[in-house]
Amino acid sequence: MSALDRLRRVRGVLIAGVFLRAALWGTFAAISMIAIVAIADAIAPVGLNVRVVLRVIAILAGLVVGLTFVWRDRRVRELDRVALWIEERVPALSFALVTAVELGDPTLLVDMRTSDWTTLAWHRGLSRLLTPLAALVAATVVLLALPSGVVARAAAPRRGDSLSRASRTAANRIDPLVAELRPPVYSGARRQEIDEPRDVRVLVGSVLTLRGRGDAGGIIAIASADTTLASADADRWQITLRVSAKPLAIRLTDGTHVRIIAVEPIVDAPPQVALTLPVHDSVLRVPSGRLPLAAEATDDYAIASASFEYIVSSGEGETFTFKSGVLGAVHSSGKQLKLSATLSLDSLHLKPGDIVHLRAVARDANDVTGPGVGASETRAIRIARAGEYDSVAVDAAAPPDAEQNVVSERMLIMLAEALEKQRPRLARDSVRHESHAIGVDQKKLRRAVGDVVFTRLGGAPTGEEHTDESPERAKTMQEMLARADSATNRSIDPVDFEGGESPVVAVNKPLLEAYNAMWDASTALELGDPGAALPHMRRALAAIQKARAAERLYLRGAPPPVVIDIDKARLKGKDKGASSTRRPEMPIDSVTSIRANRLDHAIEIARTSSSAAADSLLLLRVDALADAPAFASALGDAAAAVRRGDGAAATDALARARRALVGAPIVRDSLSRWGIIP
Amino acid sequence: MSAEFVFATAQYESGDWDSAPLLPANIIDTIARYTEIPVAPTGVIVPLSDARLFRYPLVYLTGHLPVRFSDTERRNVRAFVDRGGMLFIDDHNHDIDGTFHKTATEEIARTVAPLTELPNDHPLYSAFFRFDGPPTTSHELNGWGDNLVHKHLLAVQRRGRISVLYSNKDYSSEWNYHPDNKRFLSVDNTRFAVNLVVYALTA
Repeated sequence: MSALDRLRRVRGVLIAGVFLRAALWGTFAAISMIAIVAIADAIAPVGLNVRVVLRVIAILAGLVVGLTFVWRDRRVRELDRVALWIEERVPALSFALVTAVELGDPTLLVDMRTSDWTTLAWHRGLSRLLTPLAALVAATVVLLALPSGVVARAAAPRRGDSLSRASRTAANRIDPLVAELRPPVYSGARRQEIDEPRDVRVLVGSVLTLRGRGDAGGIIAIASADTTLASADADRWQITLRVSAKPLAIRLTDGTHVRIIAVEPIVDAPPQVALTLPVHDSVLRVPSGRLPLAAEATDDYAIASASFEYIVSSGEGETFTFKSGVLGAVHSSGKQLKLSATLSLDSLHLKPGDIVHLRAVARDANDVTGPGVGASETRAIRIARAGEYDSVAVDAAAPPDAEQNVVSERMLIMLAEALEKQRPRLARDSVRHESHAIGVDQKKLRRAVGDVVFTRLGGAPTGEEHTDESPERAKTMQEMLARADSATNRSIDPVDFEGGESPVVAVNKPLLEAYNAMWDASTALELGDPGAALPHMRRALAAIQKARAAERLYLRGAPPPVVIDIDKARLKGKDKGASSTRRPEMPIDSVTSIRANRLDHAIEIARTSSSAAADSLLLLRVDALADAPAFASALGDAAAAVRRGDGAAATDALARARRALVGAPIVRDSLSRWGIIP
Repeated sequence: MSAEFVFATAQYESGDWDSAPLLPANIIDTIARYTEIPVAPTGVIVPLSDARLFRYPLVYLTGHLPVRFSDTERRNVRAFVDRGGMLFIDDHNHDIDGTFHKTATEEIARTVAPLTELPNDHPLYSAFFRFDGPPTTSHELNGWGDNLVHKHLLAVQRRGRISVLYSNKDYSSEWNYHPDNKRFLSVDNTRFAVNLVVYALTA
């Protein structure tokens, strides 16, 4: 091995020494800091977040210290520095080594003794490790001398480690307190621990375990009417409860010491299901073919299964029969699910009038309180009856082409008014020509109205044409209505309509009035007299407006109107029999007023004992959780604020609670007239 | 809100909600005969999806066909009972295996809460006339429907008050006749309706 190689070996030893030393100092720094945190925590409890941050700082401090040492000795990797370091310790070399390294000429190093260089480097390196090693050992001894739980709180802080903290003799065994929450398996949620639980939100069916230090004797938990005794677990006690759907206030008692833990159960919501196919209800003419079905389901935890359900109802009046079935069932374990299937209408053997009710149903995996069942909206597929085609739109038809050349009645009136205004300045022929043109448009519009009326009356849309120029045209509206009524009420009894009119008369009266007015208007216009036509045209427009604003009737739900004669039913008139006086019941002291009183009481005792007030607010919160969530939420905030002594936040939360309970205060501009304050 | 009681019949999208058209008039007549409650001479039909629902303290719902509320109907019914309204549902099929019963009870469980048996000593049965339980109907006695004489009505109660009352007794058939025909009955079979109305207005 040449002298240069030996020099490189020495450099390697020195570099290793530098890194080792840096590592020792870095570790010492980190361990020292953790030890300091642990001691501080043993003296006064340090919060979880602070401990997490301090642990990160300790690790960073160790890294910084180690890197500082490496940086300070960074030149140890330069060969000439190593040569110089050897020259300082072996003066006999007379700078030959440095010169050889600088010139890169190894021949200068021939016959040079190199065996003691490495030894020198080892001695040097080990001697410099002694101090950090001693420091590290000292820090480690300190750390080992501390209770293991104390060190763990500083080295690996986590929720629920408050029981590990060393403390002087506690006044009671329910302080400190840790709650462990084990959600039901189906939820897939993780176990969690909470230090000093006050207000716990947990899924229904979870197992809640309260733990504390000391023996179990005499520690009891009272929840509703149930009392649970603590059981021993090594040097600790524990109480295990299962969370039901009802909000709970657990009173934990150790002798005269009481702690209250509010438990707000989170109820597993049933799945949300949306039926995406078919998109809407339908009426089918022929009960055959295949109907594609599709749905989507989501759940807050997990969906176990989903399927489509159908019910076929047959019959009418008082005789209905039903059959039902399930199809497209799928199983799952995810939070979302898409399902699809096809329903064969032929297989259902449907008859006219039958209705198929379709929906999608999903069940969640809740095996504790469930399963929760969610269902989609129901679609109804009805098979049309043979006799309903004339009145029921079986299939959506395209709208008829709009007749572009029909001018509205309002526009015709404007044209006629303009012509009437210009009439003194125009020649008679011009007036007649223009008036005739308006009359032609009026005639077209009258035919359009006639089509509507005759279509409604059950005739062909062109029915008006048969009577257009006929001398038999109904001269009066009453005649027209009578003819229409007789034409459409030939065989069936009319539905009893408001005012005693038949439906034909009631529905078509305004349009027939417009129709006749247009007839008179067009006659006047064709005679070249727009002034005479205008009153008829305005009457026609008013009738159209009336028809447009007419009440839409839902014929199916129109039962025979039976108006009860109240006085007759009460036999009033001759007999003056006096009935007993009925006194109204006294208003019940409502839940709201009880809660308001309890809230007032809690605020009152806050002046003397904040913890008692916080407990009172928590108990009130548990009572209100089921039916007044906004009030309960505000109370939770208020209890937390009262407990930590934050007066402003407590006031704000209590104001929110009061508003949620009794509503916003009524703002008045001035005192009421009968107010007691002058 | 009107000062007089108005009998409201619920109109819902899915079924034949109008299957007992004469019942409202009959109950109005009964209320007028036995009480001094100011009552409107005619009833109203109120869609469950309409906000007008909240004007009426008691809403009657019946039918033969499956009951499937739309989202709007469900939301309104929930708000209706939250505000203190009372929904009276009567199974016009008088059949616990019938589709109306299955779907209506399921829909109520989904919308409000599961129905439970109403004890026969509930204040409803002594709110005006005194009954030992829900009065039987000729339809359940003569073997129609499920061949059962139901001993209890079902209900959803909130703070001791009935929010939803459910009947398999088929009062919709029993009371669906013109009030003038009461003169042919030795005992008025609609008296229980007075209890319903009085309870809904006072409890």
